[in-house]
Amino acid sequence: MVSRLVDDRSRAAIAASIERRRVDTRGLLFKVVLQSCLLVTLALLAVLLVTVALDSTDQLGTRLWDFLQGTLRSRSSDESLGIHQGMYGSLWIAVIVAVLAFPIGIGAAVYLEEYAPRNRLTAFIEVNIRNLAGVPSVVYGLLGLALLLNGQIFGLDRLTGGSSALSGGITLAILVLPIVIITSGEAFRAVPMELREGAYGVGATRWEMIRTQVLPYAAPGILTGTLLSMARAVGEAAPLILVGAVTGRLGENPGLFDIGALDDRFTALPIVITSWTVQSGRDDGFTAAAAAAIVVLLVFVLMMNSAAILLRNRFEKKRG
Amino acid sequence: MRNSTRRRLWLPVIVASLSLVAAACGGDDEDEASTPPAAADAGTAGETAPVSGEVNISGSSTVEPISIRVAELFEDVAPDVSVTVDGPGTGDGFKLFCEGETDISDASRQIKDPEKEDCFANGITDIVELKVAVDGIAVMTNAGNGAVECLTFHQLFDLIGPNGEGTSTWAEASAGLPDAPLDLFGPGEESGTFDSFIEIVIEDLAEEAGVDATTRTDYSPSGDDNVILQGIQSSDTSLGWVGFAFAVNASGVKLLEVDGGDGCVAPTGDTIASNEYPISRDLWIYVNADAAAANPALVAYVDFYVSDALSRAVSEVGYVPLTGAAQAETADRWHSRSLIS
Repeated sequence: MVSRLVDDRSRAAIAASIERRRVDTRGLLFKVVLQSCLLVTLALLAVLLVTVALDSTDQLGTRLWDFLQGTLRSRSSDESLGIHQGMYGSLWIAVIVAVLAFPIGIGAAVYLEEYAPRNRLTAFIEVNIRNLAGVPSVVYGLLGLALLLNGQIFGLDRLTGGSSALSGGITLAILVLPIVIITSGEAFRAVPMELREGAYGVGATRWEMIRTQVLPYAAPGILTGTLLSMARAVGEAAPLILVGAVTGRLGENPGLFDIGALDDRFTALPIVITSWTVQSGRDDGFTAAAAAAIVVLLVFVLMMNSAAILLRNRFEKKRG
Repeated sequence: MRNSTRRRLWLPVIVASLSLVAAACGGDDEDEASTPPAAADAGTAGETAPVSGEVNISGSSTVEPISIRVAELFEDVAPDVSVTVDGPGTGDGFKLFCEGETDISDASRQIKDPEKEDCFANGITDIVELKVAVDGIAVMTNAGNGAVECLTFHQLFDLIGPNGEGTSTWAEASAGLPDAPLDLFGPGEESGTFDSFIEIVIEDLAEEAGVDATTRTDYSPSGDDNVILQGIQSSDTSLGWVGFAFAVNASGVKLLEVDGGDGCVAPTGDTIASNEYPISRDLWIYVNADAAAANPALVAYVDFYVSDALSRAVSEVGYVPLTGAAQAETADRWHSRSLIS
């Protein structure tokens, strides 16, 4: 029946259009463009990593342990040259950020997402938090300078010892606070409404609902966001310069876990990298030292990110 | 539902474990931290009574390496003195110094009157000014280049300043110079030598000419002085500039005389130390004498600074040491605490 309705010519055309391989030129072109975007990104990263790794071998290849134990020195050939003071600063900045920014940030996010009424004020606050996340980090450095060093408000400088790892950590905690609030907020928003309604359905109060349903469900997302923001804090240099991180020489070299030195003058890995890069104009051996410091910072951040992934997987498994 | 007890614990557990980690680590290290000073004490017990305390230094990033090197050498003499050195710049250094935040201020120029008044207004009146080194920059060409002996600031500005952009021979850049290819080598912007060169040679002439105080951009900058020297050696008609202490021992290069307005002067340790050679500047430290009266560590450190260690530290970090007489004067100024007024 059908064959009679369609003549031979159009039948051939239909057959061809079905059987012949169609060449989707535009589609292919689009795919190639996308692939080259990825390639450019990867190539840039590879060049960066390879050059840094090659440069760093002078220090890391020959005197890894000494480099990890050593201090800021005036000459790159000094046998006590090393990164220990920078590692101390960065480690404790990370810890202070975790202790301060995470509970406060997550708490604020819980309030904004679960308690705050949906009105203009809340919307206004949320917009402002988003804007704060985009404020240049130097501005937070200025805030830290006024608040923690000059003690213009509350005389907080007496608590932090002025220019210290404690001041640096608090400044960076304030810096990542908006990011923590935003990422945790996103995680809370991803919690299915059915979970909340189910909890209410069996008679849970709001607090019980948040505690038993929302927080556990959102935990992986919160963790990823917060730990990534910690990595951001550890990589910041500009605010620390304003808070008085030392570039030249630090008298003390406290043990990694010596919390007694938290209110002394400090330095941090990004500061050491900047300082050594500048000094490579005077003493070329500092190029290798700066590269080695970059490798140490990368490993530091990588460790943090893998911790985030591990923890997230753990929580996700539990949730499943 | 069995899981829920475990699940709901996660937040407090994380917070608690973080504070535990902090506490545990702190406890750990109380003992560790107390051992090194004790060991150090034992080391110096045989000598005079060990000095201990803190010295806080800030200021010029040009002088910073000298103060650090002196502190490193001082470590062997007085391991219990903790010297912290920072280098935000001469002006910022004086600001901190006049607020009483630092004991010593490094400076690549002398203190300005407003800065001095600021200090005095804050009750910091006893200030000792000490010259510690000279920063000289050598202008060089290939050793085989007999056509050029001396360059004036104007010629240097024409050759290296922004107006030279695009010129490929000496004559094209500055009339009167030989008609030979110009191969230019110098430090990059990140270098202190670059800054000093701009300040001393380029800045005033650039202002006159109404252009930015910088160099031309079409030359090969390098952070490595060796690369600059290799460039100079590679071309018969090359031109370049590096720190004097580095250039003076190099082979295959000729250090040019420079005319800063008072005739041609060849760069030597003496002409630089005496500031006769025009591309040179003095480097200073300013000591708070009041603070020194209360802080034996500061006195010991400056005593050491103006001793024989100074010329060693200065040459090790690439500057020109003071002449014997100038060094003696510096030491004398410190020991007699001659204050600036």
